[in-house]
Amino acid sequence: MSVPHGPHDDAHGGHHGSHFIQHHYDDAQHQFDSGKLGIWIFLAQEVLFFSALFVAYVLYRVHHPEIYSYAHKYLQVKFGAINTGVLIFSSLTAAWAVRCAQLSQRTGLMACIAVTILCACGFLGIKYKEYSHKIHEHILFGRYFDPCVSSGGEELLTKGNECEGSKSNVAYDKAAGKASSGCLAMKKIDQDPKTEGVQATCEVKETHGGKGTPIVHMCPAHVFSDSPGMTDEPEAKAKAEKAEPKEEFPCWEPAYQPAVCKDTEVGILVLYGPDDHQERGEDYKIDATCKDAPVVPAAADPYTNAAGQAIQVGKPAIHRGHELTAHEIRELDEEHEIAGPPPEHTNMFFTIYFAMTGLHGIHVLVGIGVFTWLLYRSWRGDFTPDYFGPVDFAALYWHIVDLIWIFLFPLLYLIH
Amino acid sequence: MPTREPAGPVTEPSYLDVSHGLKSWMLTLDHKRIGLMYLFGILIALIVGGSFALLLRTELWDTGKTIVGQDTYNQFFTLHGAVMVFLVIIPGIPAALGNIMMPIQLGAPDVAFPRLNLASFYLWVTGAIMLVLTIPFGGLDTGWTLYTPYSLASQSAVLIATLGVFVLGFSSIFTGLNFLVTIHKFRPQGMGWFQMPLNVWAIYATAIMQVLATPVLGITVLLLSVERFGHIGIFDPTLGGDPVLFQHFFWFYSHPAVYIMIIPGMGVISELISTFSRKPLFGYRFVAYSSVSLALLSFLVWGHHMFVSGQSRLANMVFSALTFTVGIPSAIKVFNWVATLYKGDIRLKTPMLYALSFLLLFTIGGLTGLFLGILSVDVHLHDTYFVVAHFHYVMMGSTLVAFLGALHFWWPKFTGRWYPEQLGKICSAGVFFGFNLTFLPQFVMGARGMPRRYWDYDPQFRIFHQLSTIGAYVLGLSLFTTVVYLFWSFKNGKKAPRNPWGGSSLEWQAPTPPPLYNFETPPILHELYNYDDIVEVEEDVWERQLPEHVHEVAAAVATVKAARVEAAASIEVPPTERNEALVRGIATEESAPVTREEVKAVVAAGALPVEEAKAAAKLAEVAHDKTEIRNDEAAAKAETASEEAAHVAQQLKKKDEEPKS
Repeated sequence: MSVPHGPHDDAHGGHHGSHFIQHHYDDAQHQFDSGKLGIWIFLAQEVLFFSALFVAYVLYRVHHPEIYSYAHKYLQVKFGAINTGVLIFSSLTAAWAVRCAQLSQRTGLMACIAVTILCACGFLGIKYKEYSHKIHEHILFGRYFDPCVSSGGEELLTKGNECEGSKSNVAYDKAAGKASSGCLAMKKIDQDPKTEGVQATCEVKETHGGKGTPIVHMCPAHVFSDSPGMTDEPEAKAKAEKAEPKEEFPCWEPAYQPAVCKDTEVGILVLYGPDDHQERGEDYKIDATCKDAPVVPAAADPYTNAAGQAIQVGKPAIHRGHELTAHEIRELDEEHEIAGPPPEHTNMFFTIYFAMTGLHGIHVLVGIGVFTWLLYRSWRGDFTPDYFGPVDFAALYWHIVDLIWIFLFPLLYLIH
Repeated sequence: MPTREPAGPVTEPSYLDVSHGLKSWMLTLDHKRIGLMYLFGILIALIVGGSFALLLRTELWDTGKTIVGQDTYNQFFTLHGAVMVFLVIIPGIPAALGNIMMPIQLGAPDVAFPRLNLASFYLWVTGAIMLVLTIPFGGLDTGWTLYTPYSLASQSAVLIATLGVFVLGFSSIFTGLNFLVTIHKFRPQGMGWFQMPLNVWAIYATAIMQVLATPVLGITVLLLSVERFGHIGIFDPTLGGDPVLFQHFFWFYSHPAVYIMIIPGMGVISELISTFSRKPLFGYRFVAYSSVSLALLSFLVWGHHMFVSGQSRLANMVFSALTFTVGIPSAIKVFNWVATLYKGDIRLKTPMLYALSFLLLFTIGGLTGLFLGILSVDVHLHDTYFVVAHFHYVMMGSTLVAFLGALHFWWPKFTGRWYPEQLGKICSAGVFFGFNLTFLPQFVMGARGMPRRYWDYDPQFRIFHQLSTIGAYVLGLSLFTTVVYLFWSFKNGKKAPRNPWGGSSLEWQAPTPPPLYNFETPPILHELYNYDDIVEVEEDVWERQLPEHVHEVAAAVATVKAARVEAAASIEVPPTERNEALVRGIATEESAPVTREEVKAVVAAGALPVEEAKAAAKLAEVAHDKTEIRNDEAAAKAETASEEAAHVAQQLKKKDEEPKS
């Protein structure tokens, strides 16, 4: 037989020290210990909350490593690294705040909490910059993934091309023999028009401005002088020379012949600019007349191509439908992953990226709220060596937010 | 001189009367009031979910359209499942009855975080409202499992439902967190882990799962919600996502959720069977450990819901094998309960009738689960009525029946009123027979190939469906009557005594209904599940009779203490800090200090046994010698003497116990 807690012996006003000790606790230590266990359990819950996203990350990475090694280059390591530093530093100040609370250093406590809040805001500021860049460049998740720049940072002339779905997402209707939705699959760019999935050979007929104003001028021929794919027709040349200086209007090169057309009459071309530094407009639509691509003959021998030539096993059997432009040559010279078109479902990387960093960002926001409340309470002088639990618990929460970021940073930014 | 344990007059108002008005309930931090509000909400949800069940059973009365079309039927079974799972069964025992009883069983004044407790309740209310809001906003037709990709394409109010489930999940997580901390930090001195009532053990195991599994559901339904409006593609195969990943995540929560539902029921049954058999629970430690091992195993078997979802064959085999291990702790429990019943002095009160129903229904539910765990058999039985019958035997036949048993068991304690016992017995029989009539035919038609969730069926199944529907109405009527008489008895029932069942755990020492902080005087820990000293003094009023030796030993200990206090007080020492500490150390060596008044009272009470007189004399000797030896030596000597005296008291106690055995 022994005597358990007597709730009424000391329940009413019997506590010494801080008046924040709630009546159902034995003493300050009991309250602190309970709170500490509670916050640790909460953190365990947080780990499980994030775990599903980590599992999704691993699953998709194991199944599609090419997506990760391609897409991570869209992320800027510089920003991620700065944010890592900012968060680690704020973890230090958060821990320091606990020490200050334990020692009744009110000014120090307030300073530490304020610095922690500032760091958290700084983190979100940098995150905002990263997000807004990605939103601007259409480097997004799901069907919104339609980047305007390559993973190497080069512009892909795709803005406003009014495609249905993303380029990485062409549905090819075998029965109809053409794409049923979406735009040109980027990886088909260098292929022979006869290759499956490329339905037509198109010629640029006219370009339209975003607001319907027709633009009749083509690029001056000299712009493409290094482009062996262009024919220097005298008429076009004369027309181009009459036109305004090239800097003042968007200049287009119908670089690639194979295209997927919406219908047989009018198609949409994916165009590459002649030069990256060259100005180009937004929201231009290019109409083109397309001819049906020749029917691909059924290959009798899987190791023989359409022309009857033997295919070297183990090497990609891609035949270029045209001579390479200077731009293409330069691209091919670069690392394959940067230069190449995005792998199928590259959008999934950004699904994971936005889900993980977004959820983490929400946690940072919550942290700012909690620390602001603590700043007010410490200004009011609530915290004493007897009662500093809330500071301790908030700091622990902040450490887990920090820790999650420390996993996110290498997993998203530093992979190869 | 056998006496009753002092129950004492109740001076404080009960928690029901301590304050009045809507605000005093809406903003209460009292775990009992919060639990009672949960209970109220859950009983309402039970009626709602049950109505959907009756509607869909009515539709299945005959082939073709009976009352509603296919789409409405889809909504009926979805809402029946979602309401029953998320609003009734998961919070039923832990959040409602656990909230009310668990702190009292621990002898604690409240849960660890009363404000968090209230917040959990409001999260539950919010989630419940959101689930109900799906009805005006287009219904919900995905099944309670919300499987992708259909839940991405469905035109019904999936978004509101998923957000509702998300909110409900956090209600559950915070409740579990609160209970874990309470059980760790609010056990009274002297109550070790293995002196806890098994109900508390079960709630502890449940809380582990609530905290570790529910977050995965939270993130899953959150991703599903974002997928619904943002098309992020994580579960959408057209964008490269994996719909089977959703199933994995969903069952990683929802399989433990099955144990979140059943384990508290098992805890309750352990209490009921021991109390109403008047026998210590057989294999206490095994039952306690089996709760925790069930909780841990529950995390390893989720894949058995996905045998035909395109899982790898290896995964199927591993999950199948792990599924069978779950049978071990479950069987340990069942065998221990049966062993407890054996040669027990069984009292067939309403709660016990529910407990016995549980034993049978859980055994059927558990064993049919093993059929489904066999890979080859599952291919045949998957998505048939056999599965439906199996999980209803576990979720409803076991959990809901245990919930009803617990409700009747503790109802007199926390409302202070008796429910009508005869009516209770009739309804418990109605529940038992109605339930079996509903679901036994479903095993048969499931094994014959009737798929679940179908609106129409082959005429060969008509007889089974009709039997099932009749059973559902018997069951519904019994449950509805139960809810009605419980509500009625809350105000109008006969007043209940402090210990109506002769229970041995601490809640039966609290006044009925308990005051705000549960106990007026600190409860005394007795051996758990030992009913030797608890006798029925009149019908349904039990009191603990303290054996004589307890008083003698108590008196002896008090005398010795008194002598030590005298000795310590008479040692004249300079009031240095060290000496003072020394003296105080002697005087308060026992956990409870003895005051002079107490000492005098004991001395006045009467003669002491010879041994004790000797001990007291020895102490007096020490006190006498104080002038001749140095003070600290005297203190040491007094210490030795007091140990000897304690030893004497120990022997006295032993001697007293001998004739008994």
